[in-house]
Amino acid sequence: MSPQTALHDPVFRAYFLVVLVSLMVGGLVLGFLRFVLKKETAAMFRTYWSWILMAGIGLIVVFLGRVATIAGVTLLAIFAFKEFARASGLYRDWWTTGAVYAGIVTVGIASLIPHPRGAEPGTGWYGFFVAVPVFAIALILLIPILRNRARGELQRMSLAIVGFIYIGWMFGHLGFLANARNAYGFVCFIIFATAICDVAAFTFGSIFGRHPLRSEISPNKTWEGAVGSLVVAMILPWLLRFSFPFFGTWQLILTGLIVGIGGQLGDLSISVIKRDIGTKDMAATIPGHGGILDRIDSLIYAAPLFMHMAGYYYPLK
Amino acid sequence: MKKWRYDSARDLDQAPLDRLRQFPREPDMLVYGLRSLCALIIRGLLHVYNRFEIIGHENLRTNRSLVIVANHCSHLDTLCLLAALPLRKLHRAFPAAASDYFFRSVHRVWAAAVLVNALPFGRDAHVRKSLSLCQELLAKPGTILIIFPEGTRSTTGDVGEFKSGIGALVAGRDVAVVPCFVEGSFRAWPKGRHFPRPKKVRLIVGAPRNYRSRTADKIDIGAIASELRKAVSELRLTNGSH
Repeated sequence: MSPQTALHDPVFRAYFLVVLVSLMVGGLVLGFLRFVLKKETAAMFRTYWSWILMAGIGLIVVFLGRVATIAGVTLLAIFAFKEFARASGLYRDWWTTGAVYAGIVTVGIASLIPHPRGAEPGTGWYGFFVAVPVFAIALILLIPILRNRARGELQRMSLAIVGFIYIGWMFGHLGFLANARNAYGFVCFIIFATAICDVAAFTFGSIFGRHPLRSEISPNKTWEGAVGSLVVAMILPWLLRFSFPFFGTWQLILTGLIVGIGGQLGDLSISVIKRDIGTKDMAATIPGHGGILDRIDSLIYAAPLFMHMAGYYYPLK
Repeated sequence: MKKWRYDSARDLDQAPLDRLRQFPREPDMLVYGLRSLCALIIRGLLHVYNRFEIIGHENLRTNRSLVIVANHCSHLDTLCLLAALPLRKLHRAFPAAASDYFFRSVHRVWAAAVLVNALPFGRDAHVRKSLSLCQELLAKPGTILIIFPEGTRSTTGDVGEFKSGIGALVAGRDVAVVPCFVEGSFRAWPKGRHFPRPKKVRLIVGAPRNYRSRTADKIDIGAIASELRKAVSELRLTNGSH
């Protein structure tokens, strides 16, 4: 991945168009709702403008190449964890928060550097990347020992481990995908597909939503939205088959399931955390979307599952 | 199992810019880290680019709450005063910054809140509210307030009239008031210029004063303001030769 290859890569260029067309279709639909059906769409437009901004930033980062993608994912993870730490109160403890930040940066470094003994550059250090949680959790558990403290430490350690594994490491898989031979196809597909599925869940839920999906966790999500989103997720891998021409039927089905079910599980698991803490959004960073964490939550599940599925059938490199 | 209590930040529902505008802010360690890093860079630049020099540094060595009072003709003044503090006290130092100037546009809010940890001070409206906020801060030990009682940057380099608010803040309080004079900042970076020039800048720190025996009536606070103005101006004349 580099700006030169991106310019000539058919997959990247196709995604550029796909994203552009999707945004235009979205804009037309919103315009139709606003001007023809005279619906109240101010909130939706705010969400839409943020989509445009995020799509632009995402395209630029992927265009800039492998290093930019990994660095971008790491930065996103840092700020997403910051939101989690602020919401859960963990941010008051510098030591534990610092350990998690260090862990997240390590995930980024492991995705960036090759295996020190004889691997070619640009491959990422897969063995270390998969093993980072061992070291990060060891560090987090070490902190109360170093500080000679026990009171309330279980809560801090637990929050830090959940935060690191979930936001730092699992989401970090998106960055590691940039090392794949088929990086453009994998990275662009997984980001685009989870985004479309989120929109689909919202749309189907608003139109047909009747039966609450998990009433105790997220009152606004419905079975109708979830099923609609899953249907879209099952179609998307076939529509965007050019992203991974070597995938067979079985892999395409798995991809659809991962995006459709995994994405929504990611969403719901963040909702569990928010519900227990008692906040509606993790932050108000992105107008119309809530926090960064509220935006990337479906990728947190979908990206690692997708990477390991793809890696099982076709070696990433 | 006992329920966990989450001690969330109180500003979760606010947009990032509004979060920076409010006071007290609730920064996490990333903000502290960035501020310390930038402070190191700024100190280095001041020493190399402006040949920054501090006279009377020992007057700032205390762990009690302090009010630093200085003349003001440049953004460099704040940076110089902050550079005179040890790094560990940086996050407890609050330069009072005009909320109508510093807490408007995005980059100024960012610089004021993240880099210099400014306290939004209403100089036209809410003066009383801002003053009581300062007093609350001073009640906590180890707070350092940096105040420019002229209320604005001087356009001539001379020390202007001190507003009486400074008197109201320190009268009857057992708090050390340290007069300071920043010399050369007007030549280095006057109001209206985009970038500082490589001119020598010197910070002269005077002996701490205390106004605990004074009352907060109108005449007294006016007197304190002019006494402080005299103290600051005299630092320039003596030029640290004490």
